[in-house]
Amino acid sequence: MEILAFLAQGFAVALEPQNLFLALIGCVIGTLIGALPGLGPVNGVALMIPLSFNFGLPATGALILLVSVYYGCMYGGRISSIVLNIPGDEPAMMTTLDGYPMALQGRGGEALGVSAVASFVGAGVATLGLALFAPLLVQFAIRFGPAEYFALFVLAFATIGGVTGGSLIKSFLAAFLGLLLGSVGIDAVSGVPRYTFGLYELYDGIDFIVALVGLFAISECLIYLEDIRGTSRPTLKLGSAIPGVRSAGRCAPTIARGSLIGFVAGVLPGAGAALGSFLAYMLEKRWVGRDGRFGQGDPRGVAAPEAGNNAAAGGALIPMLSLGIPGSGTTAILLALLLSMNITPGPLLFEQQPEMVWGLVAALVIGNFVLLVLNVPLVSLFAKVLQAPGWFLMPMVVMVAFVGVYSLNNSAFDLYMMLGFGVLGYVLRKLEIPTVPVVLGLLLGGQMEFNLRRAMSISGGEWSILWSSGISVGIYLFAVTLIVAGLVYSWVVRGRLR
Amino acid sequence: MSDASQDNAGRVPGVIGDRIAGALLLALAVGAWWLSHDLESGFMQPIGPGEYPRLISLPLAALSLLLILKPGFNQRWPGRAALVRQAQTLLVLACYAGLVKPLGFLPASLAAVILLIRLFGAAWKSALISGVVLTLALYVLFEFVLGMPLPNIPGLDW
Amino acid sequence: MKSVIKNLSGVAATALLGAGLAVSTPSQALPISECIAPADPGGGWDFTCRSVGKLLLDLELVDSPVQVTNMPGGVGAVAFANVESNRADDSDLIVATSTVGVTQIAQGRYPGGADTMRWLGMLGTDVGVILVDDDSEYESLEQLLETVVEDPGALAVAGSSGAGGWDHIRALMLAKEAGMPDDQIGSLRWVQFDGGGPAVTQMMGGHVDVVSTDLGEIAGFIESGDVRVLAVLSEDPLPEPFAELPTAASQGYDVAGYNWRGFYTGGEVSDADYAAMVEDLQTLYDSDEWKEVAQQNGLVPLWRGGEEFDAFVRQSIDEVETISREIGVIQ
Repeated sequence: MEILAFLAQGFAVALEPQNLFLALIGCVIGTLIGALPGLGPVNGVALMIPLSFNFGLPATGALILLVSVYYGCMYGGRISSIVLNIPGDEPAMMTTLDGYPMALQGRGGEALGVSAVASFVGAGVATLGLALFAPLLVQFAIRFGPAEYFALFVLAFATIGGVTGGSLIKSFLAAFLGLLLGSVGIDAVSGVPRYTFGLYELYDGIDFIVALVGLFAISECLIYLEDIRGTSRPTLKLGSAIPGVRSAGRCAPTIARGSLIGFVAGVLPGAGAALGSFLAYMLEKRWVGRDGRFGQGDPRGVAAPEAGNNAAAGGALIPMLSLGIPGSGTTAILLALLLSMNITPGPLLFEQQPEMVWGLVAALVIGNFVLLVLNVPLVSLFAKVLQAPGWFLMPMVVMVAFVGVYSLNNSAFDLYMMLGFGVLGYVLRKLEIPTVPVVLGLLLGGQMEFNLRRAMSISGGEWSILWSSGISVGIYLFAVTLIVAGLVYSWVVRGRLR
Repeated sequence: MSDASQDNAGRVPGVIGDRIAGALLLALAVGAWWLSHDLESGFMQPIGPGEYPRLISLPLAALSLLLILKPGFNQRWPGRAALVRQAQTLLVLACYAGLVKPLGFLPASLAAVILLIRLFGAAWKSALISGVVLTLALYVLFEFVLGMPLPNIPGLDW
Repeated sequence: MKSVIKNLSGVAATALLGAGLAVSTPSQALPISECIAPADPGGGWDFTCRSVGKLLLDLELVDSPVQVTNMPGGVGAVAFANVESNRADDSDLIVATSTVGVTQIAQGRYPGGADTMRWLGMLGTDVGVILVDDDSEYESLEQLLETVVEDPGALAVAGSSGAGGWDHIRALMLAKEAGMPDDQIGSLRWVQFDGGGPAVTQMMGGHVDVVSTDLGEIAGFIESGDVRVLAVLSEDPLPEPFAELPTAASQGYDVAGYNWRGFYTGGEVSDADYAAMVEDLQTLYDSDEWKEVAQQNGLVPLWRGGEEFDAFVRQSIDEVETISREIGVIQ
């Protein structure tokens, strides 16, 4: 009952007019930033910190503003995924796979509707988990050591085959290319530069935002340039979001599964929202199996990753608050904000500053509602954007991508690299090599390597540590089951076709 | 898994494309392996900085070979006119990347946007008008709404 | 999450400063307008930048908020290289560093030596701790070190620095002091995590046995009782609230391992600007506010500035180099 009292107190704080206003502003700005290619939750939150200082916001107000921006970005990222086939940020990458085909079929409004509801549920599940089970989940998260993390990444890459329904060889080629690109930069363990060719711009590795924007946004423009008259392009019609809300009902089991998977991935520091949405999509695809038309505009292919990435975003707050460990770039910045407000997240936070924690939970709930209410009517606005002629829309996308990437480091080097990735993405698409695994390899490769090396340091070079715990064995068995099931399934299907 | 049933419109056999890609990726894998050899500084570490890239380049090489042996399908490659347009676009963007800092955001972007809109097929008149509108809109969005500083025109603070 | 976080936190601050600043010559009005933290948010260097930046404003030593730029990579090497090649004469820039950074220089892991930069001053020092989990079988440092000397491979030791980094060196200095022969050094298992916090939580999860890191970052876990402190590596007992923690010296192991927090700036900054920055930092150090912030975060206030600090850094580099050579980190 103590919890309820705290929560009521939290809501009282969060519902004060000023805080409600901040939540609203945060949601709008967050959605906007999330939708712009190249700008994601990390940028959004980082941009808001000095702003909140400048307006002299109290700690609670600042936090409410920032988490609204955070959740808003997770909502917004999907918009350009669905409408333009260009993810606004990396957790929204998986949403392109079915969201854009839906838009091509004139069901973009439905896709936006499904994803808004899925995002809402995902974020809601995560908030509930944060409120009720944070201490328990922390106990679960710390059971994940380097070997277990490594197993988790292996699982992610084992499911990568058939990510887009194309050739298995090409999917895995793309994943290993991404992993190799991910090893560029100064090796944090030994301090040795790898594949940097003396360029200090590469010391910190290849920025996956630069790669993501290049591979998706720039390559999309190059595809567009093949046929500027648009003779072979279907005209996009978004339609209404209402069927989306209805089909979200049909996707309810999908959304539930996606939320859970995403939440678990979020609770594990270092795994993050991108892994959450990826696993939610891939596992749902396996789960649905032959009934699904994944990759060709299945609403479940939109619902799963959106529930997953929003649940992961909420889940990531748990290790940040109760262990002081940021699980992602965004939570790292939220952590920095808390520290500068003299709030030290850690094992004692929930006991020492319950009003802060419960105010945050209330803010998350309110932000989530605001976003849902905001997002469903927004669909018609995006429909208008789409009616802009391509010769205006595409240069706009390119310019937003350029400015977004430039603002990361103010470096022209990043822009050249983005162009390089644009050409790479274009060629890969022509070769029918999927680009999603490249980004995933780049994104997860570093952590995968570190955890492998940590595990080996712990064991003193004994490889057996990798499968010495129940958790990691369980994960490997799961991965093997998925692969075998996939092979058997495709064998049966092919057999029938012949 | 469902590729067997996909329609093949716009696809061509990738015998040449896939093999060239396979060869390039194979070369990349071999190069990565080769370059990882002077990465030996594993003070007290069972796995040094070189092992992981080597671990990655092995399957990369194997998969590249498989691709060379078993090429699949490609999307249809663009014609000459499209290639020229793509190259011009990339050139404009590369120049923009290099000039945005020295010239400042407004003039560099204006020029780039107008040229881009032209390349995407609009007439000069609409390119000029939309170029101005888009540049100003971007400037307002990033500089004022989002509060991200853009490069200034030298000598001016805007 | 590599470089995403770079720069971002400070970007908007510059915008808010008004674009005018960017074109005028900042050194006249403001001695310090930007602080580079060569790490992700949340760690020691980030804390140094943020707390000092905030205090500079609170104390009215600067007119507008100090922009904090996160530039992680290579334990500070990326920031060092960046300042060296792009910002060597930037007279409004300070970069956070510490014993950890200087250890990297001593071991030749930065693209330059101490002469590349101008060393401004240090404001305080963190102190090393040796921790085990609260239900560990080890109750005292002596017990722990006996096991380590007997069988150096028995325990997995973790910290936030890479192999051969400062956290690792401090653990090895203790083991050496306890009588571990030099040829056994290679058998001690060292595991690096992204910070002291992650190392401690991994220990709580039972994945590693011992953590060697700085007190400040993990003070919360000591207060909550999740970990047991076997030793703090300071010469004298710490001030409250950590006065009860046993020093290594009090248990018969004469090892101290501090981690001071300070700043450098580019090598081509003029003498006048350098002096102005040192003066600002000293004023900050003398304030009561700094003493309070330091204490809250487990730092012992300690000032060295200007020429004195420069000499101190060079001396530290020599010392760390000697230790590193003895231990075998560098040949």
